[in-house]
Amino acid sequence: MFKELDPILHSQLRLAVVSLLISVKEAEFTFLKEKTNSTAGNLSVQINKLKDAGYIEVTKQFSNNYPQTICKITPAGIDAFELYVKALQSYMNPTAQ
Amino acid sequence: MAAEEKVLTEKESLELISQMINKAKNSYHDSGIGPILWGSVIALCSLVTFFQIRYNFKLPFDIWFLTLIAIVPQIFIVSREKKKNTVRSYDDITMDYVWTSFGIGIFILIFINANIISHMKPVLQTYYEIKGTRPEFNYSSFSTSFFLLLYGFPTIITGGCMKMKPMLYGGIICWVAAVVSVYTKIEWDMLLTALAAICAWLIPGILMWKRNKKRLANNV
Repeated sequence: MFKELDPILHSQLRLAVVSLLISVKEAEFTFLKEKTNSTAGNLSVQINKLKDAGYIEVTKQFSNNYPQTICKITPAGIDAFELYVKALQSYMNPTAQ
Repeated sequence: MAAEEKVLTEKESLELISQMINKAKNSYHDSGIGPILWGSVIALCSLVTFFQIRYNFKLPFDIWFLTLIAIVPQIFIVSREKKKNTVRSYDDITMDYVWTSFGIGIFILIFINANIISHMKPVLQTYYEIKGTRPEFNYSSFSTSFFLLLYGFPTIITGGCMKMKPMLYGGIICWVAAVVSVYTKIEWDMLLTALAAICAWLIPGILMWKRNKKRLANNV
């Protein structure tokens, strides 16, 4: 039986963001933008969707008078990511289920 | 990354995940300035102490106070690097714990050594009064071995975990120097300490600094 893929994570940019955040403690918006090669506007929209789903935490602050957006994955985001990977594995290797 | 709504196949999803995890994995970078600073300061203090003992002269101040003064630029370097970093990896956190505990450990060791020396003073005085000669035993010579042993721990952990071979070898040199210093007099202990500081921090620091400079030049 195939597991359903989480629609929040099953999108190229959102999956890329969550995959980056799962590997680090926290990352700035500029880091995510550079690593995903995305535009600021698109990234901003996708970050908001992940935030609304409760998968990431977004903190806005000022550093040297410059606005800084820091993103961090939440425990719910980690669980969702793990479930997503398990679901992917069930598609890739259905006999193992 | 183009159209965000592009439908991914399962294979593409897994490839994207592993690609991003690999990109994030390589996000730990040390500018090497900290190791250069401490390698130079410890080597300088040790060499000056060696020459003071060897040529029987004394500076009007304790050269090891330089290590306290060096904490000021270290704080400045750390805060500047933290501001510059756009990501905080788990490696960064591990390294912070390792080196902060090392720094605190050094102060605890200084405190323990100072207590041992003050407790031994009356014992050595009694020995002098009975025997009429100063004892051969000099605790300061052994305390160098403890410092070298302590220098080795964070250096080996950093070198091994961060895959910085020169630092790993430098840490091993600290431990070899710790063993050798048990058998050598204080002046030679100082030379061993200078050698350990140069191999464990100064040389790896210069290599890290060059590597980081090259990385930044390639990114621009």
